[in-house]
Amino acid sequence: MIDSPGDLRRWRLPRGRHGLPRELVERSQRERLLAAVVRVTVANGYESTTVGDILGEAGVGRESFYELFDDKLDCMLAAHKGLVDSLGEQVREVYLVEGPWPPRMRAALAVTLDWFAADPEVARFTLVEISTVGPAFRPIFQAGFARAVALLREGMGECGPKPELAQATELAVGAILARIYEEVVLGRAAELPRLLPDLTYELLVPFIGEEQARAAAQP
Amino acid sequence: MQKHRSSEKADSTLRPTAPPDISGRSQRQRIVDAMIDSCAEKTYAATTITDIVAGAHISRTTFYKHFEDKRACFGAAIDHCVEQLQEVAAAAHSSEDAPGDATRKAVTVVLQALAARPGLAQMLTGDAIAVEPMAIERYRKATIPALEALWARSGRSGKAHTDPRLAFGQFQVLVLNQIATGKADRLPELLPEIVYLAVSPFGGHEEALNQSQLARKSAAGEAVLQ
Repeated sequence: MIDSPGDLRRWRLPRGRHGLPRELVERSQRERLLAAVVRVTVANGYESTTVGDILGEAGVGRESFYELFDDKLDCMLAAHKGLVDSLGEQVREVYLVEGPWPPRMRAALAVTLDWFAADPEVARFTLVEISTVGPAFRPIFQAGFARAVALLREGMGECGPKPELAQATELAVGAILARIYEEVVLGRAAELPRLLPDLTYELLVPFIGEEQARAAAQP
Repeated sequence: MQKHRSSEKADSTLRPTAPPDISGRSQRQRIVDAMIDSCAEKTYAATTITDIVAGAHISRTTFYKHFEDKRACFGAAIDHCVEQLQEVAAAAHSSEDAPGDATRKAVTVVLQALAARPGLAQMLTGDAIAVEPMAIERYRKATIPALEALWARSGRSGKAHTDPRLAFGQFQVLVLNQIATGKADRLPELLPEIVYLAVSPFGGHEEALNQSQLARKSAAGEAVLQ
């Protein structure tokens, strides 16, 4: 049962005999596997997910899987990286543009909330499921956090953190992560965009004070 | 579960370097301590009953006499951590302190306690998130009302500047990041930011900045003395 769908497919479509370039086949297999690991781990939990489950969902054979990934964890981390990359790109597009910082910060936050709201399964995978992989989670978390802080700083210009609160950017990233995480855990990912005004306010206060933050949150 | 929790509180958090007083601690407490240490070393996910049994110097049968499974033991360990931190925080300030000062003092000792025993920090952030997201609600309930009460005493409650629940989440994320970066022993470096987070929901931005600065100065002063 476990990997029969993959095996069947392999019987019908022996590698290298169907005329499609190998690279193209591998790319589509890789994408199917990445999508599958998201669905399957969110449904069953990372620990109880087997490589066979992923193969079944993706319709890809075991041999192809191991040509692309070392193991279940490797596939999981690749999927996570792909998702975080795509979110990062979308944020850069609206954030690293001309103009004053507070509205750009608001736009970046809006894109982020929309991204997590668009697919609650992906949201759960990206924030919650990834935390259950054991020791490998620490470097993943650390890298993601550092990346978010760096991106936020890159677009900050003159609104950077004041000396009395040197890690205000970390506070901001912490606020985004904590709030989205909570909504996702409670199954309310789809409603995230509604939080935009409140969360913008909370994020901006440490940088520009309460009054200006209020104005920027409700343009 | 409750009946075993009695006089064993003097141990662990505050004196992490104390010699293992195997006879002094109850079996249950030894199991909880072993769970905390193992989480610190390799996270909850990688911890096995075998690790806990070995760390606590007890038999597998004894483990199951106290806990149904690993998860139940984790729940007890979380409760234990929260109790310890509450005690430490409560002892750090007096009723004469203004609420901002009291908050700053409580935050300072809590961070010191977490740095002294990074396993606590690991459990309360990384592991709690991974294992039991709702566990967070349990100890958030132990924290926020206590802070609120400080401000209520001075008649300054009722006006929330920012969301204390969010501040709590930010605290967790910052601590988790510090651990993930391998700097668990340097948690007090976060003091100015954590003080800001703890004060701002109730005291507002200006008061929070003010307390944050005081915390930074006193931390710098301590560093000079050392």
